Amino acid sequence: MSDGSGGDAPMSDADVSTRPTGGARVTTRPMIETRDLVKVYADGKVRALDGVDLDIGTGEFVAVTGPSGCGKSTLLGLLAALDVADAGTLRVGSYDLARLRDADRYRRQEVGLVFQLHNLLPRLSVLENVEIAMMGSDGPRSDRGPHARALLDDVGLADLADRRPPQLSGGERQRVAVARALANEPPVLLADEPTGSLDSRSVETVLGLFDRLRADRGVTIVLVTHDQAVAATADRIVHMLDGRVDVARP
Amino acid sequence: MGGPRPGAPPTDGPVTLFSLTVGNIWAKKGRSTGIAFAVALAVMTVVTLSVVSSGLENAAAAVLTIGKADFTVAQKGVDDILFSSLDDREVAAVRDTPGLRSAVGVLVETERINAANPLFIEVGVQPQDLEALGVRVVAGRAFRADASDEVMLGWRAARDLGLKVGDRFHANGTTNTVVGLYSTGVSFGDLGAMFPLPAVQAYNRVPGSVTMVFVKVVPGQSVARVRADLESAHPEMTTIRTASEFGRAERNIVFLKAAVTGSTILALLIGAVIVGNTMLLSLFERTREFGLLRAIGWARGRVVTLVVSESLLLALVGSALGVAASFVVVSGLEALPQLRGVLHASFTAGAFWRGLLVGMGMAVLGSLYPAVRAASLTPVRALSHE
Repeated sequence: MSDGSGGDAPMSDADVSTRPTGGARVTTRPMIETRDLVKVYADGKVRALDGVDLDIGTGEFVAVTGPSGCGKSTLLGLLAALDVADAGTLRVGSYDLARLRDADRYRRQEVGLVFQLHNLLPRLSVLENVEIAMMGSDGPRSDRGPHARALLDDVGLADLADRRPPQLSGGERQRVAVARALANEPPVLLADEPTGSLDSRSVETVLGLFDRLRADRGVTIVLVTHDQAVAATADRIVHMLDGRVDVARP
Repeated sequence: MGGPRPGAPPTDGPVTLFSLTVGNIWAKKGRSTGIAFAVALAVMTVVTLSVVSSGLENAAAAVLTIGKADFTVAQKGVDDILFSSLDDREVAAVRDTPGLRSAVGVLVETERINAANPLFIEVGVQPQDLEALGVRVVAGRAFRADASDEVMLGWRAARDLGLKVGDRFHANGTTNTVVGLYSTGVSFGDLGAMFPLPAVQAYNRVPGSVTMVFVKVVPGQSVARVRADLESAHPEMTTIRTASEFGRAERNIVFLKAAVTGSTILALLIGAVIVGNTMLLSLFERTREFGLLRAIGWARGRVVTLVVSESLLLALVGSALGVAASFVVVSGLEALPQLRGVLHASFTAGAFWRGLLVGMGMAVLGSLYPAVRAASLTPVRALSHE
């Protein structure tokens, strides 16, 4: 990760231990750490998050599940710095998100986002949809095209680079969204119901992609899902209930 | 995974803010056409008004060029410079100003000769002053000082009217004999006629009066100093050196310029409202898009730049169309029988800049608020927008 924006320094090696998961080197050093995280809406009447404590290790693939309204997506929004917590602490890598000075840079460089509704821009080609995530990033402009093509190759869509999103299947669009999320090579991938609108075959493809990402790149993945079968592919499942981690369901 | 690889297919040009801008404009052709049309309409109005105004100003101020003087003296604050009136004593006072080489009083009037010459310029001047005025007789002779039916035509006027020395020319209330043709070296001056001063004064019933005095200063003297001395000594008079100073003597020009400025501001505001309204509609349609761009790390400034760029590019196209349309409109106005010979279009750089400024101003004013709104969208809410 690049230099933090107001965050503390990373933890020392003494805090790190490893365990094998599917061939990937997963450490217990927390890439993501939340303490007593609170988020309220509607002038305090709705506590979407009500004291969430959670550690996620570097390279870990965690599925967050729970009933609708339990705070899964709110948690993901806070991790992505799309929203700000009302209380508690939230660290991602060396970033203390409560004191984040440049949220745009954080979203651009440190986390990749995949949404349920892929959110591709229909006017742009597949290639351009990946490239726009690199606008404003460091690095020469001329590298964007080759890098985007390489990413599309990685997700198996190199041949469709010049097509428009409406010409793709749901699974293909979601793979484009994954390629876009990886455009700036973030250490953390945040996915909100990425398989929610896909057929079973596309679900398998996308999950296989996540598995490869973790194995090849050591990307930390946080996946929000309702689907228990999808959640079961993760290293760890975190159940949420009423804005808290449901410790009764380890 | 990731990163450029050997053997990767050749790349297209990278996506840029400009390519996104063009793509967004192209994708919403109807909306884009609406904005460009609104800008074009406003720019056409502004450029046309400016061109017409400049043309009228230049035509009015052209009378100053007849004398090829260092400056002209006229009565201060008249509505029309042709209403200026300086009597013999005032002309004598001008002549007494130190530093003058010559001071020639002339009486200027306009007369409808025919449909092509609705404002034919007629100048009354003493024959002995013709040389000081820079008038050269190129055919025939000069008129006599006491003649009441002799006229000299500018060589361009004679050509246009199809007259030559010895022909008859009805003007100034009588039928005159064309005794000579003259050249001033100034096209406007050569498009008129010159009569003996007393004859014009008699016809206009203003004996002893002139409209203005053409002044030349002694070489080496400061024109500015002489003007200042003259205006200081005679506050009822004003001096004019250039066409842009014409408003010092003629209030009509001042009013005309004020009307053009007012219309420009009005066009700017109305256009900005139209652009802003359309851009706000666009913002509503593209809420998810802006939310996505913010979510993937686009800075607010970049989103603002994108929206304003779209508006600016459309304004540029609209401005070009507006300028082109103004050419057509002005040509049409010049061809109108009521305006033929009166309106001489003057497409100055100033008119184009004013039009461009209005077009760009509309774009910036109209798009700034929608752009800031787009950049301020909360990504989470924007992405959940239906």
